Amino acid sequence: MRRLTFALVILAAGLALAPFSARGASQRFYKDDPIAREPDTQDASKVAEWEINLSSDLLLNLFTNPGDLTPDVRAQNINTIDEVPDSSWFTNRIYVKPVSLEELKRGPNTMDGPAPGRWTVIRPKTAGAAPGFTVRDEKGEVWFLSFDGKRNPRAPTAAIAVACRIFWALGYYQVESYITSIDPKNLEVAESARIRTLSGRVRQMQMKDVRHVLNRSARSSDGSYRVLAARALPGRVIGGFRFYGTRPDDPNDVVPHEHRRELRALQVFGGWTNLTDMKAGNTLDSVITEGGRSFVRHYLQDVGSSFGTGALERKDPDDGYEHLYEGAPLVKRLFTMGFYIQPWQYMPYPKAPEVVRFEGDRFEPEEWKARVPAAAVKRARADDTFWAALRVMAFTDEMIRTVVHEGQFGDPNSEKVLADALIQRRDKIGQVYLTKVNPTHKFALAGDGALSFENAAVRAGFAKPPASGYKAAWFRFDNATGQATAIGETAAPNERIPGPSGLPTGDGTFVKISISGVDPSHSSWAQPVDVYFKRAGGDWTLVGLDRLPHMNPEPMSVKKR
Amino acid sequence: MIQPHRSPIAATALLALCLSPPAAAQDSREAEIAAKQAEKAKSLQVYVPSKAERIITNFEREAIISPSGPFPFLDSPYRGGGFTLGAGYRQFYGDASFWDIKGAYSIKNYKLIETSTRVPLGTHGHAGVRGGWRDAPQVAYYGLGMDTLPEARANFRLKQTFFDGYVALRPQRWIVLDAGASYEDYKIEEGRGSAPTIEDIYNPITAPGLGISPTYLHTQGTVGIDWRRSPAYSRSGGFYGVTLHNWADQDDVLTFSRLDADVVQHVPILRDTWVLSFHARMESTIGDDDVVPFFLLPALGSGSTLRAYPSWRFRDRHSLLGQAEFRWIPNRLGMDMALFYDAGKVASRREDLDFDNIKSDWGLGVRFHLPMYTFLRIEAAKGSEGWNLVFSSSAVF
Repeated sequence: MRRLTFALVILAAGLALAPFSARGASQRFYKDDPIAREPDTQDASKVAEWEINLSSDLLLNLFTNPGDLTPDVRAQNINTIDEVPDSSWFTNRIYVKPVSLEELKRGPNTMDGPAPGRWTVIRPKTAGAAPGFTVRDEKGEVWFLSFDGKRNPRAPTAAIAVACRIFWALGYYQVESYITSIDPKNLEVAESARIRTLSGRVRQMQMKDVRHVLNRSARSSDGSYRVLAARALPGRVIGGFRFYGTRPDDPNDVVPHEHRRELRALQVFGGWTNLTDMKAGNTLDSVITEGGRSFVRHYLQDVGSSFGTGALERKDPDDGYEHLYEGAPLVKRLFTMGFYIQPWQYMPYPKAPEVVRFEGDRFEPEEWKARVPAAAVKRARADDTFWAALRVMAFTDEMIRTVVHEGQFGDPNSEKVLADALIQRRDKIGQVYLTKVNPTHKFALAGDGALSFENAAVRAGFAKPPASGYKAAWFRFDNATGQATAIGETAAPNERIPGPSGLPTGDGTFVKISISGVDPSHSSWAQPVDVYFKRAGGDWTLVGLDRLPHMNPEPMSVKKR
Repeated sequence: MIQPHRSPIAATALLALCLSPPAAAQDSREAEIAAKQAEKAKSLQVYVPSKAERIITNFEREAIISPSGPFPFLDSPYRGGGFTLGAGYRQFYGDASFWDIKGAYSIKNYKLIETSTRVPLGTHGHAGVRGGWRDAPQVAYYGLGMDTLPEARANFRLKQTFFDGYVALRPQRWIVLDAGASYEDYKIEEGRGSAPTIEDIYNPITAPGLGISPTYLHTQGTVGIDWRRSPAYSRSGGFYGVTLHNWADQDDVLTFSRLDADVVQHVPILRDTWVLSFHARMESTIGDDDVVPFFLLPALGSGSTLRAYPSWRFRDRHSLLGQAEFRWIPNRLGMDMALFYDAGKVASRREDLDFDNIKSDWGLGVRFHLPMYTFLRIEAAKGSEGWNLVFSSSAVF
């Protein structure tokens, strides 16, 4: 049975890899390649609400390996030029388009926050550790309020405000979040509000329940409470998404989530921001109806576990360094009486009471770990992390300091420490992930046949140009059969390589160019990046890019050993 | 496995179905994706949770969302009762009040049945009343003082009917103010088990109060400071408290008072890589002339005091206990290890609570815990009388 299953998995993977860049008998490139948007073509209005059990999700991800077990699978929601098209999961922003400081400050927000005046409490908060409840403001807008823990003033709300802007700029759907304050005198409880007590009884919510929440919250000296107001999502909320598999009742959800690049990229983005609580419970799907068609939009809904504090107190020291359960460290600590010491056990943190355990000096991007491993993150390949690192590197120092300022820290040093750490961690991410693969990108083929590109690692200052320059192998490419016929090889010491003689000139013809860097100190640069151009109207258009081979045939279990 | 598709073959087939190029050739990428989505739309499925997920969900619903109902009860009916099985039924009322009834039966034929109710007092404490009956047919008695021999063990049977009420207040997070009063009716009878019954070896001189089955009104009050995260599991903080007891014999023969002092301190090292934990406890009878019945004398020996010694191994009018642990944390989520050392002494006079003639032990333990609760403690302890294995469902201190 196991052999049969394994054979079927391999067969399916062989059939299925890279769905948005099909090969084989059908043509390699379609007329609309590379697509800029992953379409949702089917009506998803009947997708039912579900509740993912957090305990079983945690156990499953900690102790098993859910999702596709085929090793080294290329992301499957990328277009033919190795980019993630816009979709109901992701919107290209930073790196692809200019993001102004004003846009960054605004993030996902489209208004000014809750209307001032009386707020009516309509529901208790039933998930998450932070104290809170749901209110309706005077304009009828619904807001989920989240307070700072009594012993952790400003830090949790600041973390949410900063992180949601960062993740918005990175491309994720985010909840509109506003830092504001409330005077308890302006709160009233709706007659329809119901609360489930510890005893399991459901009764009308009362002011004493509101006071109970406020008693657990940090109070300002003027008697008000700082609060993070998250606007209710549009559409019909139907629960979260898992980091593996697909939703069986969503017809548009055809790419297993573990093979979605924007989810795999959370290894990089999560490491940058220390988003340690990466779980289905912090995501939300919502059925959106636009133009008469319904589709599911996927939100990375709660990124508040970013940086160095939790909802109520500072993060555990191993947050970001170890999963909640790992066999090997457990055994080592068990038998050495705890003398198996890791850096997180002694590393210093800057004094920053509203950031606490977050720093950049000792951050190692590839070693970063969420509390519970997410199936998609575990499958991140070097091309996924390269893609993500380009986006992280697109944040300038000024952008980082601007977005951190939106946390409205009370302690100026905390704001500085957080920004400094993000800058340091950004650079480490670039250093690690931009140099790990052949980092050439931004390819253009001029009419005269000269190929220009950039080396992202060199441009960022993390590497010197390859000692012996770049070389390019040129091919005619038959889009119908996938056959490549050699034209010649050229080389250059810089990022502009002349074309060979004999380049095709006819409209509709394709060329394939394999570009590699020649430098013994960067062995990964010798792995060529294959780019494909199509000739039309006298110009060459980039239609394809393969940074890494499609799959490693070695089964994951063998690879691990 | 929480998979929407239960067999690997089905999952594989769906994977291939979803991802491979459609049979009918498309002329655009969008059409290709649309074809895959259309294909999936033909076979949409309602999500069916796996069996494991259903079990966990049901458990959470029963235990957390609707907490009323039966529950396991593993506390020993009386110290020294051995492995115990029990069950209870809890019914919540109001917002967070409950009453329960529970029973337990141990391998040594110890029995307990108890009913109680507990009511929160705002957010700063709770109050409760409790009533019950226990039967411990082979409670050990080795005589008075530290020089008794293991071979001097005798058994007695203790039956107790009790009703009590208490108030536990936390006016501030660290402040402990507890008070309680209980009616305790004891019946002391011939012991069961392999050891001789107490009357065969001891007399009212060597076992004070022997032959009397008193009925007490027991009142007590505690003041203290507690800045541990939780009494049931903590890696930092401390507890410093004193409790004053008075047992008023309804026949005014065996009335006595006792002062208990407890100090617990946890010292985390290197971000909880290690924790040094210390516990000191003194139990001291106040009136020199008061007669304390042998079964209510301060005692040492048990899985939470001198762990290498059997329950009730040492008894006298005063006791002093010191415990130190070197703890390390193989897994921060739920597993601690500990090397421990216990030392203690009982004495007939308070001034004799010194370091002469103390009994000590050492050992190694493993504890499995939740963030604020220890649910299993297994320890091996070695003392002058040999090894002892401890199984407990609570923290040692």
